[in-house]
Amino acid sequence: MTITVTPQTFSYVSFDADLIGRVAQSLVGALGLEDHPVSIEVDETTPLARSSVALSDDMGVVDNISIRVESGAFEDTRRPRQQSENATATTLGRVLLRARDRLLGGFGEAPPDDELSLAQMAAWETYCVGRLVRLGIEVNQQRWRYNFRNRHGFSDAADAAFDRIWAGDGLTWGELDEISRAASAT
Amino acid sequence: MRKFFPVEELARDGRFNQITMKDRMADPRTVLGKDGVRPSSNRLVPSRPDASTAARVLMHGIFVGEIQALEGAGRTCHDFRTAGDQARRAQDAAAGDDSGADAVPFALKLDMARQAWDEARHVEISVKLSDWMGGEIGEIAENTVLQAACSTDPVLRLAGVNRALEGLAIDVFTTMKEFGDLAGDPFLEFCEDWMLADEVTHVKMGSDWLRKVTENDPERRKKALEFQGIVDKLFSYGGTRSDSEESPIGLARRFRELAGFTDSEVEDIAEVSLAALNERKDAVARLQAEAASQFAGR
Repeated sequence: MTITVTPQTFSYVSFDADLIGRVAQSLVGALGLEDHPVSIEVDETTPLARSSVALSDDMGVVDNISIRVESGAFEDTRRPRQQSENATATTLGRVLLRARDRLLGGFGEAPPDDELSLAQMAAWETYCVGRLVRLGIEVNQQRWRYNFRNRHGFSDAADAAFDRIWAGDGLTWGELDEISRAASAT
Repeated sequence: MRKFFPVEELARDGRFNQITMKDRMADPRTVLGKDGVRPSSNRLVPSRPDASTAARVLMHGIFVGEIQALEGAGRTCHDFRTAGDQARRAQDAAAGDDSGADAVPFALKLDMARQAWDEARHVEISVKLSDWMGGEIGEIAENTVLQAACSTDPVLRLAGVNRALEGLAIDVFTTMKEFGDLAGDPFLEFCEDWMLADEVTHVKMGSDWLRKVTENDPERRKKALEFQGIVDKLFSYGGTRSDSEESPIGLARRFRELAGFTDSEVEDIAEVSLAALNERKDAVARLQAEAASQFAGR
């Protein structure tokens, strides 16, 4: 299992590269991604909290998982510029699960991340975070429900779709997208 | 009973973590883009990919702002003597405080009491809206802007709390109300609209009392308006609120007009807000250069 974190020392924030590496290692093990080298790049110049993941082929043998994160995604919002282990785990877990979905199959027809609609992204995030909870990571479900409602409407149908995705396991992209579309249409 | 609490001694439980404006401004990170490349808009609208998080964070800011406004209005009722209140004057004199310069009209105190009642309701509404959006009490560091609420001059309190802090609330509620409307959130738009109506009233009360109390004292009025200008700039949070699309929160010109701001006063606030935005950008560039040179020197 190879995990690299960049930078190793932070100047804008008080983050710990070793902690990021340990959290990533634990998640990679839990998600069965040990065969895939993981690189994590933290942009500490911005307090925004965006994260992205890309898969790249290394001579056609192993898919590398490249994660890029803005510092706000790992931050303890109660203590600006300090790191939160829970936020680190939630952010890394979300992107690693998206990577795993693409790697393990069933998500072949999913558009690239930057072409996903806001509703599709909200549905996929819901699917990822629901699974993270079952891995023992503490999250506020209502926060993700609100995000899902913002993208699918404030309706009972949207809530039912959210519950189904949250509890889901083994969904394909086609199934996930269909639940999202149906909720939006209602 | 003790009067005039300093800002450090105001009540908060263990869920809250307070930071000062100085701490906040020492953060070298910026959302404004690197190398002079400005994002086209930072306005809080549902189409922003991070809209839900940004709205939840702003809601927490509203919640703590309401607590601070409640403290400001409530303490104004108690801290200052009512004009003509001989019993209180005698009580104060017995306690060694013989100053009579802080006397305020009884009707002003009644307005502050009404405002405290409104703010308490707003705190409760904000907690419920936070729950609805998946927020938690204390999850975001609280910016302490209470210096404006701790002034020992009632006129400066009116300028700082009612016109500057509550004026900011008008801008924030307008942005949040529009967000709720566009997102189709059935509660957010409705609640913000009701609170906005109260805030316009609070600012109007501040505007009216400021003029009335300083009617025959142009120097005091000038000082109060200068103080308001300083607080307005501080409450622009480095340009978080301004007319520029780079700011998440816009300036609610129409509601400010309804609240008793003159056109030139609104223009002044627009100007100081934009200046705060530009100063913040310069400061961030400087802090980033310092951080980069420290990093290079390792």
